[in-house]
Amino acid sequence: MTIGETSLPTATAKRPSPLMRLTHPRVYCSLAALALLLLIPLVSGSPFVVHVFVTICVFAALSTAWNIVGGYAGQLSLGHMVFYGIGGYTTALLIQHFSLSPWLGMCVGAALAALVGVGIGYPCFRLRGPFFSLATIAFLEVVRLLAIHFNGVTGGSAGLIVPLKLGWTWMIFREKINYLYIAFGLLLLCVAVSYVIRSSRLGYYLTAVRERDAAALAAGVNNTNVKLKAIAVSAALTAMVGAFHAMYMTFLEPATMFSLSTSIEVAMFSLIGGLGTVAGPLLGTVLVVPLAELARGWLGSAANGLHGFVYGSVLVLITLTLPGGLVGTFGKRFARLIDALPGGGVRVPDRAAPEPAAITGTPGEPVLVADDLVKTFGGLVATDHVSLTLRRGEILGVIGPNGAGKTTVFNQLSGFLAPNSGTVSIVGRNGARATPTTPDAFARLGIGRTFQIVQPFGKLSVLENIMIGAFLRHAGVEDARAAALRVARLVGLEDVKDVEAGTLPIGGLKRLEVARTLATEPTILLLDEVMAGQSQADTQRMVQLIRTIRDHGVTVIAIEHNMQAIMSLSDRIAVIDSGRLIAEGKPQDVVRDRRVIEAYLGEDFVDAQGL
Amino acid sequence: MDIFIQLVINGILLGSMYAIISVGLTLIFGIVRVVNFAHGEFLMVGMYGAYLLAAKFGLHPYVSAIPIVLLLFALGAIVQRFIIQPLLSADEHIQIFATVGLSTALMNLALMVFGADLYSVPPSAVQHSIALGGFTLVIGQVVMFFCALALVAGLHLFMQATPLGRAIRATAQNRNAALLMGVRVDRIYVIAFGLGAACVGLASALVMPLYPVSPTIGTYFVLTAFVVVVLGGMRSMYGAFFGALIIGVVDSLSGYYIAPDLKEVVYFALFILILIFKPTGLFGLGRGTE
Repeated sequence: MTIGETSLPTATAKRPSPLMRLTHPRVYCSLAALALLLLIPLVSGSPFVVHVFVTICVFAALSTAWNIVGGYAGQLSLGHMVFYGIGGYTTALLIQHFSLSPWLGMCVGAALAALVGVGIGYPCFRLRGPFFSLATIAFLEVVRLLAIHFNGVTGGSAGLIVPLKLGWTWMIFREKINYLYIAFGLLLLCVAVSYVIRSSRLGYYLTAVRERDAAALAAGVNNTNVKLKAIAVSAALTAMVGAFHAMYMTFLEPATMFSLSTSIEVAMFSLIGGLGTVAGPLLGTVLVVPLAELARGWLGSAANGLHGFVYGSVLVLITLTLPGGLVGTFGKRFARLIDALPGGGVRVPDRAAPEPAAITGTPGEPVLVADDLVKTFGGLVATDHVSLTLRRGEILGVIGPNGAGKTTVFNQLSGFLAPNSGTVSIVGRNGARATPTTPDAFARLGIGRTFQIVQPFGKLSVLENIMIGAFLRHAGVEDARAAALRVARLVGLEDVKDVEAGTLPIGGLKRLEVARTLATEPTILLLDEVMAGQSQADTQRMVQLIRTIRDHGVTVIAIEHNMQAIMSLSDRIAVIDSGRLIAEGKPQDVVRDRRVIEAYLGEDFVDAQGL
Repeated sequence: MDIFIQLVINGILLGSMYAIISVGLTLIFGIVRVVNFAHGEFLMVGMYGAYLLAAKFGLHPYVSAIPIVLLLFALGAIVQRFIIQPLLSADEHIQIFATVGLSTALMNLALMVFGADLYSVPPSAVQHSIALGGFTLVIGQVVMFFCALALVAGLHLFMQATPLGRAIRATAQNRNAALLMGVRVDRIYVIAFGLGAACVGLASALVMPLYPVSPTIGTYFVLTAFVVVVLGGMRSMYGAFFGALIIGVVDSLSGYYIAPDLKEVVYFALFILILIFKPTGLFGLGRGTE
């Protein structure tokens, strides 16, 4: 509850390991706050208080697990109770039929739920926002109806009573406080997993995929894979909590185990606390659940519907007033307060990584060969039999009028578009020739590309944006940070490295595009109009930068409208017009080519000049 | 064979109810581009309204249709103006949460006011059946079928032949271009949301004589309406209409030939398959997943 983050924990990520630094106020305050969840009911001793705190721990754990998919990955599942129910029913049925301890049943349920999660996620992750939510609701409904239908197995609507065997082996107790220990343990597990994901490469990748899937792909992130990992972990944790909760209630029925309204509540707690933050779901639950439980305790059945009404209204109000949730809105300020406590404010000095090893290979050998590419959109032939060869160590400029199809060619050279016919083969970083098909595969093999329309991860800092690229070659957060810092220095973004990327001016954003791409340590760099919108001085710097990059052995292919810059920079120029490659050669030859002048200035001009 | 034909007839009549609800949902999604998760609760509000008018003033729901439609139009317009409009440029998940929250709040409000009991209006002639060529038809459902036809025809004329309808279509196709042409887009959205809710108002008045109302009735109908809308291609009113008839028939046939309690499983499975493999809808009229 005391860890305040917005999108990414810059300070927490600087720590080599969270447990190494118990003296940091964020760590000890968080632990102290968490301990209250255990201490308050222990001191009070009232069964009702214990029940409320078990409920808090269960829902906080569920919400924390949900947040891994709903918050980090941004996939708003509204049918998450399907995993909870799977955990509960698996555990109960294994006790009933095989006398298997619920501790083991819990693990079986978790594994099963992870599988189901992947089964749901794989086809559904391509759906946009509300349609993903609808699909998850549909899955929940289908499972609930099947659970009712197959009453021979599940007991149907009448429900299923957990065999009552007492003791730790069977997770059934007379002393209610024991349930609290388990619930609290599960909560700790969920928060720990959530924290570890948040401060690891996976957490950064999930944010990247959520914010800009195209840019994440270009940085070599396998979008589907990353989300599947998130849903598998989330489903497994949810199932474990479901298993425990079934043992706690000792009764299972489809209506409560696969409940849509509970699924919505769990998501709601995350939103109130702060989507995509570690502490948010816990904070949201701690604030809302006691209110609802107390209202139920005081008003009894007279309050039928009251807590739901309050939940719904709070949800609407939060969306209208605090869409970032409590942590998202107040987290930064609160974190500063916490950091002022003893032990805070110790900063690990920034470390920049050394240059990566120089790229080896024979200068002049073909590193990228596009053979007879054709791409049509309906009746429009956007790429008309284009063949290109890129040679190691050169800078190839690509020019052509607007709408000529230059970016379409780039999209095929980086895997974002599949050509209708023709092939793209590249020499990978390992020196072997390959014909990858997906953008992330291209990136892994060493193709880096920028986007003409800049694609920053707006809510991440500049350095974190570059880290998304750096993660491709550096799995550890600290290594990636160091590598990103090296690139930030090279590109001239070090001064603004902690600024939120969305606030940069266009010149800075263009350099950030290059930086994120460079951080993937490409051997071939595809630059799409990186000088557009830059000032004269910035253009000079960019030209200088591209030369520096090439001197490190990187082969460059650049689309550019800034003629002066591209002519002085390029070793060769290729001209594309109406989807066709109309000229190729040395800059001084290309500018005199009749077809090129025609393409830019029209036939009449050519005739008038007597060319 | 007679049973099969009777089932298809039942299905089409049932489908016409889904059609009215789904056309409203499609209007809202197609124009405002917001998925209204509270759509079912609008239906519930309308049904309680029809029930109250019947209980207090003895009005037949068909008569209450007029005030209910107006009431629901107002409700829709208010929701758009005060909840959706401020969130139009917000993240998609915030919009989802807003309508989901509205749905939860309305459902539980009904639970607080009316309790969990079922309420119905006094029996009337529309519950009776007529025999037609050896098949039986429930009068109330036949009325619904013709109302659904009239609704689609009326909306078609409205959209094609009136200046307001043209402005609505322009807004649906390109919000910014419509703005540049002087269309008051915010107002169009309010009207569109109101119209979508008004369709549900009509549905609730027509449904009331045949089904009792409870706080959760909305969830029951709206999930089916979502299936229909996805089937119909999300943005097409005509797609929604035919999609509804198809789902009605699927409902009726699978209830008989598979198992009554599995008919929802059949069309939810259909829903998931269409979302995944044919996101443009069965007739290819929409571009759903973009």
